[in-house]
Amino acid sequence: MLWNFIKSILLFIPLASVQLVVIPLVSIDAITPNLIIILICFFTLKNGQMYGTLLGFILGFIFDLISGGLLGAFMFSFTISGFISGYFFNENKIEINTATSEFIIIVFLSATINSFLFNLISSSYNEMNIFSLVLEGGILPGLYTAFFALPVIVFNTRKELR
Amino acid sequence: MINFLRRIINNFKEYFLVAVLSIISISLLSTNEKPAVKRIRTFAFGNFAFFNKILNYPLSFLKNDYSLKELEEENARLMLEINKLRNKGLENENLRSMLNFRDTSKIQLLYADVISKLVNKNQGNFIINRGSDDGVLIGMPVINDKGLIGIVVDTSKNFSVVRTLYNNNLNTAVTIERLNIDGVLSWNGNELIIKNIPSHYEIKVGDSVVTSDFSTIFPPHIPVGIVSKRESVPIGLLHHLSVKPFVDINAVDNLFVMKIVPSKQINKLEMNLLKK
Repeated sequence: MLWNFIKSILLFIPLASVQLVVIPLVSIDAITPNLIIILICFFTLKNGQMYGTLLGFILGFIFDLISGGLLGAFMFSFTISGFISGYFFNENKIEINTATSEFIIIVFLSATINSFLFNLISSSYNEMNIFSLVLEGGILPGLYTAFFALPVIVFNTRKELR
Repeated sequence: MINFLRRIINNFKEYFLVAVLSIISISLLSTNEKPAVKRIRTFAFGNFAFFNKILNYPLSFLKNDYSLKELEEENARLMLEINKLRNKGLENENLRSMLNFRDTSKIQLLYADVISKLVNKNQGNFIINRGSDDGVLIGMPVINDKGLIGIVVDTSKNFSVVRTLYNNNLNTAVTIERLNIDGVLSWNGNELIIKNIPSHYEIKVGDSVVTSDFSTIFPPHIPVGIVSKRESVPIGLLHHLSVKPFVDINAVDNLFVMKIVPSKQINKLEMNLLKK
């Protein structure tokens, strides 16, 4: 369990750097994919809901600190996303969940909820309406993130074929 | 009883965990301005920014041409100078002679590269490769050759966090230059808006918006953008104005930190007034 946490945090460091340096280059009207969510979903589907919730909390805390953003915002949204993706954890279906299109659907759902909650918290002082909050603040970033999760299933399928 | 509670906790442990962690996260939101939290954040982003800097190095070759640095700096200086001169042209000679005490010294500009960005709908901020060792202080305005970008909100030894105009925690006092009307510019998640401008002012689409004399966080007359839309409020007495910034903020790679803290400048002016 502890090794799994360490492994995911070690993977998180380069991924967070890519998220902050490279991902802004592919943003479309401030809509960006979230690579950290892909990492959280992947490890949650391998290790369970409790693990995912805790992992989301820890990675959210670190990401809030290193991005210079609002402390607590990513912490909350990643915690809930880890919890949601943990619902799909099944010890007998780990390979199916992480190497098929189901993984994309789970990432889409988690990323949508993550992005929606993050925008809901950080937009407490503005007038973003509920429609744009759901669509621009939730679904579109969710779709973009799901697209970036495609290499994970390609890589995992190949690994299993070997 | 204890067994019953233990059974409940065991059955619903995932829910208890998520509830506790969510409460901790939400309560941390209110501690963002506490000095201890700021210190931890400064330490964290200051150290992690080294990773970002390494990753940013190969990308910077694709993003900018270093030979343009000096020209960009000159452009930024000229942009500030033009706006100062334009404003002076609007003042009458007597007033100018009365205001002779105004500090017209050259503002020092510090070139900086953006090494990482947090791009989202509400909390736009950058981390730049200049920090307190370079003389950057919290509250210094950040511009490029086109206009205002944001303000420094946090500094470590070698890096600083810049809050951009695309952040709903940054409200800026601005003036519509042609009519000299003041308002407060804020980010609503989709666009920059100036709220509650009385309808009888004949503001036109295309009017230039600059920082106001009343701003305590920015020096006056820095170009911000142009009025892109005029929208009436249902009551009909007031208008909301949409502003299109001169700077494409999400595409900014290089910028300049103006090495002044406006509140200090105001203090200095007040001291000058007292001396007179």
